[in-house]
Amino acid sequence: MSTPALALDDVTVRFARWPRPALQGVGVRLDPGEHLVVLGPSGSGKSTLLGVLTGAVPHAVHAELTGQVALAGGATAATGVVERSRHLGVVAQDPGAAVCLPSVEAELALPLENRAVPPSAIGPRVAAALARAGVAHLQDRATTTLSGGELQRVALAAALVTDPALLLLDEPTSMLDPAALAAVRGAVRSGAGTGDGARPGPAVVLVEHRLDEWAGPEGVAGLPARALALDADGRVLAGGPTATVLHAHAAELHAAGCWLPLEAELLAVTGHHGGLGNPAVQAWLTAASGSDAPPGPRDQGDEVLVARGLAVGRRATRRRPWRRRRDAPTPPPGPPPGAVLNDVDLVLRRGEVVAVLGANGVGKSTLLLTLAGLLPPLAGTLDAAPAGLVPQDPEHGFVAHTVTRELAHGLPPDRAAVAVPERLRRHRLEHLADADPFRLSGGEKRRLALAAMLAHGRPLLLADEPTLGLDHRDTTATLTTLRAAADEGTAVVLTSHDLRSVVAVADRVLVLADGRLLADGPTAAVLRDRSVLARAGLALPPLVAWLLAHTTDGETPARTLRRLDGEHHA
Amino acid sequence: MTATTVPAVDGTGTGAATAPWRRDVTPSVLARRNPTVKLVLLTVVSAAVLLVLDPVTPLVLYALALVGVAAAARVPARTLLVAHGPLLAFAGGVLVVNAVSRPGPVVWSGPGLEVTAPGLSVGTALAARSLLIGVLALGFVRSTDGPTLLASLQADARLPARPAHALLAGYRLLEEMPRTWAQVRHAHAVRAPRRRGGRPALGVRAHGRMVFGLLVSSLRTGERLAATLEQRGLGLGPRTVWRPVRRDRGDVVLALVVLGTLAAVLLVSARLGLLAGPGALTG
Repeated sequence: MSTPALALDDVTVRFARWPRPALQGVGVRLDPGEHLVVLGPSGSGKSTLLGVLTGAVPHAVHAELTGQVALAGGATAATGVVERSRHLGVVAQDPGAAVCLPSVEAELALPLENRAVPPSAIGPRVAAALARAGVAHLQDRATTTLSGGELQRVALAAALVTDPALLLLDEPTSMLDPAALAAVRGAVRSGAGTGDGARPGPAVVLVEHRLDEWAGPEGVAGLPARALALDADGRVLAGGPTATVLHAHAAELHAAGCWLPLEAELLAVTGHHGGLGNPAVQAWLTAASGSDAPPGPRDQGDEVLVARGLAVGRRATRRRPWRRRRDAPTPPPGPPPGAVLNDVDLVLRRGEVVAVLGANGVGKSTLLLTLAGLLPPLAGTLDAAPAGLVPQDPEHGFVAHTVTRELAHGLPPDRAAVAVPERLRRHRLEHLADADPFRLSGGEKRRLALAAMLAHGRPLLLADEPTLGLDHRDTTATLTTLRAAADEGTAVVLTSHDLRSVVAVADRVLVLADGRLLADGPTAAVLRDRSVLARAGLALPPLVAWLLAHTTDGETPARTLRRLDGEHHA
Repeated sequence: MTATTVPAVDGTGTGAATAPWRRDVTPSVLARRNPTVKLVLLTVVSAAVLLVLDPVTPLVLYALALVGVAAAARVPARTLLVAHGPLLAFAGGVLVVNAVSRPGPVVWSGPGLEVTAPGLSVGTALAARSLLIGVLALGFVRSTDGPTLLASLQADARLPARPAHALLAGYRLLEEMPRTWAQVRHAHAVRAPRRRGGRPALGVRAHGRMVFGLLVSSLRTGERLAATLEQRGLGLGPRTVWRPVRRDRGDVVLALVVLGTLAAVLLVSARLGLLAGPGALTG
């Protein structure tokens, strides 16, 4: 029997002041070259498990660890983080922190220099690792010029450059758009071998919550061959071949709020195997859309924003934006310098949810900042009611030391007295009222940022990727909140790369491509237009594609998706 | 620490000196020189002129340094002019304070002020010294990027690898900081109360909170970067250096030119009876 790449036996981790252990009696064994995916709902201890493997728990984060840890190279729980690096490669979650040095070459050379590899051998190994991760073309680049997807692939190359026995991937795609995600997934599969012994490579532990996106079009077969499922209490729910684990426990995992590959999700909800190819599943989907009465056509609400001939971008000059908010300078002929979008005509009304779609870098966030009055229009006119903006990184907006004060910030006292308790209740934050916003979990931070902005009751709410990094349950809750805000008379605009969420919640989509507004219309109608999808680089997830192809109206696909999302609340 | 030398890949003698990611450094004669050598020369010249207190010698050195930096570091005239704004303001302040506060024969008097000859002389010397050091520092900064300086300090000044790489990670954090600051600023501005005209009322306290937000964000990123550095094996033990920043003949020539010019100017100045030392302060 070969020495395992990792063997955990009865591992329990307790953090100080936590009511229960983060991990309880976890055991798992992985042989050289095997690939393992760790899944579980938010708070199930996935990150803690990874910390136990890297050594961050208990060496960098104070915790009490019991049980046996054995890793490739003879490391045990007592071995420190630096010493474990001899046999471990790690790719961290945050692309901004997964790469440390100013140049790609220096980043790749660092692990080899630290192991005293002869300098003459470093160059070829750097080039080979970049090629394995599919980013040989980035060798001469400064890291500050790389996109998130490029950074994650460089981080992967830096983890592979030492030929580790064990590769740890901590939600490597949680901050990425679908194109970048596919690139990272492809790089992991080709760079780390296939995991079936056909190609040599490290053993891989992947912690990933967007399993539906990581699996890609191959479904369950696109995931690592073995799975370890953790429950909400940090115990092992199941371990074994991934397909077996997902099929046996799909309903529990789905109910716990996990994102699952479509096939497993449909099994959990409909009780039928085989995914979209199974007529029984198709029948369920068709029936689901008709289960409640279709709402009548929505009333056209008042206009809250009118933009004509708008050009947006970041101007090089340092003029203060708000002085020019409503009267942009007389435009010279041609697009203004620095504009990423030109000639945008746009009307937003109370009561509608509008999604802004487009590839990374097309100008979605810049458009939102302009509509919010935070960047001056480079050309055109913008007449907008006061807008609220929920930033992509919720931490950037936090101003207070408690959740309650965060919600009250900027509100008159009489209004705060009413709005704060209401928002605490509606956004499931009551138990965190006195907590420090910076110490909340990722999902809680997003809920708080959205709640704090909604408390202002502005007629226009702009949300930049409000569901990024959230589990299925929190994604559904966020979409419900946005819909409710619109139903109460707010105009809601969100950017998103998650087309399933967009179809579930948005009445209308704006598709950006080629520096302009390519399409503006009802969600389903626009997304059925293949030429629009192709020009904007949008790829429909299989479920959305099926629903749009098998219906003719706009409301049915949305209702079916909401029914699917609602199943784990039922 | 095992310092191993290998032929520099790009043939410039300083490894990454012309690597494409060095955006802010114009390729130039000075940019190809060893950063530690430049830093030592800057320190030596600055220390030497501390002892010179006549007005002519530092002015001559300043003029030579200005021409040298403009040519050897290829600093455009516009950049030199802009950089002279704060330099001249500081030098002017030094000149005026000395001119009106030192005892001695009065050369000009105005309402409540008397400018003395020794004051003018010492003030000019100190002002010229400020300009000289300022221009040399500008030449250093414009011809040296952070990563290469740190690599050079590791190789030539025995700076240990851990603090050097911590500084490099900090450098990356610094590069990201303007972007983070803009995001923090936008997120705060949107919830700030509005003044008339729609402008967010961001007062001193709001700016304090924004700085705190930036600090928290940077600290968290810093923590994660530190973890990544450890996971990459920083601190494992003896290490090698892939492309050490080297010293070569060009650096010897640079040192000879700079120190030779300094010595020559001081010598000629002394021969002409112009050179004055700290005695000028009391005499």
